[in-house]
Amino acid sequence: MKEQNTQVVDCSGKYVVQYSLPMVPGPDKVRWNATVNGVNVDFFIDSNAILLDVLRDQGGSLGTKRGCDMGTCGCCSVMINGTPKLSCLVLAQEARSSSITTVEGLSSGHYLHPIQQTFAECGGSQCGFCTPGFLVVSAALLERNPSPTKAEIKTAIEGNLCRCTGYQQIVESISKASEILVSGKGIDDSTSSKSDPHPGFSGGLS
Amino acid sequence: MSDIDDSEGVLHESLEHSLENVEADIYVDSEDVVGDIEKEKITTDVVKESEIVGYRQQPGKLPFSKPGSGGKNRFSKPTDYSRIPRSQGGSLEQPWGAHRHDDLISGQVIGKSTSLVDSNWKVTGQAKYGDDIRLPGEVIGRILRSPHHYARVLSIDISKALDLPGVLGIATGDDAPGKFGVLPVTKDEHAMAVEKVRHVGDLVACVAAIDEPTAREACRLIEVEYEVLDSIHDIKQGLEDSENPIHDRGKYHIGESNVQKRVFQQFGNISEMKDSSVASHDSDWTFTGVNHGFTEPHAVVAHWDPSGRLTLYTPQQVPHYLHRALADVLDIPMHQINVYRTFVGGGFGGKSDPFPHEMCAAILARKTGRPVRINFDREEVFWVNRGRHPSKISMSLHADSEGRLCGIETDALIDGGAFASFGHVTTYYNGVLHTAPYEIGAFHYTGARVWTNKPASGAMRGHGAVNSRCAVETGIDDLAEQLGVDPIDFRLANLLPPHSATITGFRVTSIGMRECLERVKEESGWDEKFRKMPLGKGIGIGCGFFISGSGLPIHWDPNKFPHATVHLKIDMDGGVTVHTGAADIGQGSDTVVAQSVAEVLGLPLDMIRVRSRESDTSPVDLGSYSSRVTFMNANAAISAAMEIRNELLEATSEITGSNIEGLVIGDRRIFNKRDPAVGVSYLEALHKAQEDRGALVSSGSYRTPPMGRAHKGAAAGLAPAYSFSAYVAEVDVDIETGQTKVEKVWAAHDCGKALNPLAVEGQIIGSCHMGMGQVLSEEMKYGRTGHLLNPDFLDYKIPTVHEMPEVTPIIVESNDPEGPFGAKEAGEGPLLPILPAVVNAVYDAIGVRVSELPITPDRLYKAIEKRCRSEGVKEPLDLEPPRLELTALQEILQSRAINHSRRDKERRLTDSPSPYHNGALFGLDPEIPGDEQDSRWAAVVIPPDDYLEDPGLAGSAWKHTERRHRSDVE
Ligand code: FES
Ligand code: FES
Repeated sequence: MKEQNTQVVDCSGKYVVQYSLPMVPGPDKVRWNATVNGVNVDFFIDSNAILLDVLRDQGGSLGTKRGCDMGTCGCCSVMINGTPKLSCLVLAQEARSSSITTVEGLSSGHYLHPIQQTFAECGGSQCGFCTPGFLVVSAALLERNPSPTKAEIKTAIEGNLCRCTGYQQIVESISKASEILVSGKGIDDSTSSKSDPHPGFSGGLS
Repeated sequence: MSDIDDSEGVLHESLEHSLENVEADIYVDSEDVVGDIEKEKITTDVVKESEIVGYRQQPGKLPFSKPGSGGKNRFSKPTDYSRIPRSQGGSLEQPWGAHRHDDLISGQVIGKSTSLVDSNWKVTGQAKYGDDIRLPGEVIGRILRSPHHYARVLSIDISKALDLPGVLGIATGDDAPGKFGVLPVTKDEHAMAVEKVRHVGDLVACVAAIDEPTAREACRLIEVEYEVLDSIHDIKQGLEDSENPIHDRGKYHIGESNVQKRVFQQFGNISEMKDSSVASHDSDWTFTGVNHGFTEPHAVVAHWDPSGRLTLYTPQQVPHYLHRALADVLDIPMHQINVYRTFVGGGFGGKSDPFPHEMCAAILARKTGRPVRINFDREEVFWVNRGRHPSKISMSLHADSEGRLCGIETDALIDGGAFASFGHVTTYYNGVLHTAPYEIGAFHYTGARVWTNKPASGAMRGHGAVNSRCAVETGIDDLAEQLGVDPIDFRLANLLPPHSATITGFRVTSIGMRECLERVKEESGWDEKFRKMPLGKGIGIGCGFFISGSGLPIHWDPNKFPHATVHLKIDMDGGVTVHTGAADIGQGSDTVVAQSVAEVLGLPLDMIRVRSRESDTSPVDLGSYSSRVTFMNANAAISAAMEIRNELLEATSEITGSNIEGLVIGDRRIFNKRDPAVGVSYLEALHKAQEDRGALVSSGSYRTPPMGRAHKGAAAGLAPAYSFSAYVAEVDVDIETGQTKVEKVWAAHDCGKALNPLAVEGQIIGSCHMGMGQVLSEEMKYGRTGHLLNPDFLDYKIPTVHEMPEVTPIIVESNDPEGPFGAKEAGEGPLLPILPAVVNAVYDAIGVRVSELPITPDRLYKAIEKRCRSEGVKEPLDLEPPRLELTALQEILQSRAINHSRRDKERRLTDSPSPYHNGALFGLDPEIPGDEQDSRWAAVVIPPDDYLEDPGLAGSAWKHTERRHRSDVE
């Protein structure tokens, strides 16, 4: 099959390729806004952009990972209005005006979220690539249900893949975090030498 | 006895006393210095005032505040005596005898469960993996891949693609014709196709463009003309002569076949042993290919800086070999390249080859003058593969009337896919890695690895040992059944002792196999369950043995260069910077090296910072493969830290006047063993040592001791230490559907000494998960036309949290005499036993021995039906589960096991035990290698003619003659 592509210059002086079949026409740019980790953002995005790409490439949330791009690994999980979603399967437009929390938004100021702390201390994170997804999903779980049973924890993380840990220490980490949340004890003093003075940035969206 | 207790009591007291001193010492406010000095005078009144203060001050000026102790919370936790060995005055039990590193144990961090030192990066999403490296001005690279299994590339027309606006550069095989490969003997890869493509997904060209859609479109516009060649997919076909062998190895080519490597090894007289056997097991196994399934797809960023140097950011397990390969392919000296290892999102062997896409990124970046980032789709990860070899293994085991394992015959044909990768080594490992932990009467191995037109197989967790280990362990289960003995007792009565040599001449130092078996037996309630559970429920045992580092580095003579080097630097601040090239791939190697340094210097972990990313600043380390990092790198770190330790001790002795031998290091304090009140803080000693020279630096390295035998291939599988493991798995098989669920696993692993028990447990559980996948669900499926059918996580089934059994990790510490603080590997060995444990448990549940993995419901149900037919049973539910009638042999084995247990204990507690060579159980003198006593035990590495008359499947590879030995080819 021979294709005839024509090149034209658009009003901004940029080259645009107009494809003959089988390419679909390029996407339009549309304006998009949302609250990402508590910061209001307003971008121009491709009309067909996937939320994961917007978050990573424009939103500065490189903590949100791409493991498969087809909804099978859970690495890209983010909270949209408090509900965990696979951002690789969400059109950015669907999440317009929503409030999005990524892994970078879990810690508050200098305090790690208990779930972050216990993942570090109980071996919930080995290579760490799946960790952001697990953290988001389990933080959402604990928000809904601060003292989940083992079975509830397993159900919450069933869509997340971890190749390193075999999940056992992840489940333990989540139970531990729930203990901390319920008892209110065990959250580190931010001035003690163990706590990290820079536990997270808010998505680089300032 | 009371004597000892007393002296310990005194020592404890004095140690505690010294701790109080530390506090007194550090609670200093700058206004209160005078008072403080007085306090010190009181508590350490042996030393004169002028000698106490370690700082030189200008007269009349206010004293400096003591640097480095910052923060409100200046103390790490007090020393925990249970972490200090008895020999050092602590209470740490050393049932395996003292270790040469005991006097370096300060009780700080070794043996404590420790979070990974980089865990805060990971849990906050700030860890930068391959695709997270974003450089200003970056462009996106895409790779055009072959749609054909095997084809000659006739022409590539890139003109249309180049005309596409937004395309900045295109490269093809012509841009980098140099060959590379991870092993110097088998360099058979190109950055992009030169002449031929060898599997679907092989690289043809690559494009750099301003964004991903443009790059994809440009790939579409590249026109490639192929001449399609006959492809080979069947592994057996690879053994035959072919018109177009996938590679041409010149005069070393084996016939005209696709055999990449063949191995023949024979030790002992196998036919005689076979004749004397009373029980034999024969099986033909089929193992499918398995992928690592790491969560982070490959990604790479290449950048040439203005001074003409290349920095390549990549999640690599083995940055050094990549460094070498880059220099070869790009045709520039190594010093012009900086390999920067990003965080690695899982490796498991799948990121340990130098990869063509890494070359592509570098070539494109050179062409375009911009940083180039290439990120893979999940599908591309499957095309690159390097996973576990699909293989066909025939296993024959023989046992004699005394319940000894008198012969092992293995024939392994393994499918290498399109490239050699680590294949040389894999071919050996399939055989030699099951010559322990049992004492065997004869060993016969034939192995062959063939090229086929599939994505290349390579190294994957448990490299080369997993499949054949599964076959051996299930075979042993069968032997035990035939002999009417318990399979655990059978194993316990056939173990090699500590400090012994295997039949192939591997030097085994520490061995905790017996404890592993005993522990899992006890904790799983084996005796109440084995062969006693109802139909559908079963329990099974499997063991494993794995190298802890490989004795030979791939690229150089081990007598010339060390395997691992670590540099330390300590400046005024007192923090220790560790430079190492060891690649942390999530297993926690940075943590282990930091722990080792912290331990030797008596410092808390947060004073150690590890710099292990860049080849510019890190000394060469061979990389994270063959489970070598903890063993070699931590040993190197210990020797570097010992140098600094000595300097600190010298400085302390100068300040305090005590002699060096009497000094010990505690928590940030160096003091006199006898009188802990006499001592200085770490910073004081450090600043004294730094006088007139500034920062302290040191370097330590590790190299393996000379070992092993001299026959061809003797070095494969040679390691400074070996890890051992035993697992018991309990399964539930739904007999009407063939669905298997693993309910529980008791996993005992001998890792020498768990430097970080949290990480060791994580490795054990993670290995269970990965092995479970291979045994129950994971499989790279190829269709009838040879296409990979499931290059995604939807169809490639990795166990989720629901499939995971409850794993009880059991750590056995055999205290290896050469390991760092006694440690051995824990990363790969723990994977081996889970496969046979599950397979054996399935047999226990339903009386069916599978010989094909994974045990998917359809496969298992077919096997159940077969059993029904052969026994004339209509309903699977009416089948009888297997039961065990013990014979008289059981008692003989048990008493032998008890004797051996005594023998083992004696051997491990004596400092230099006499040699013990495999064969003693069969009546040979243990002190002399078998081959020196009896010529029939000598190694044979070329098949004798009579073998070739009726060779095994892989053995038939020896029917070809290497080209250089043939008369018809010049
Ligand atoms: S990247 Fe979204 S689920 Fe894998
Ligand atoms: S920690 Fe590596 S994939 Fe989960």
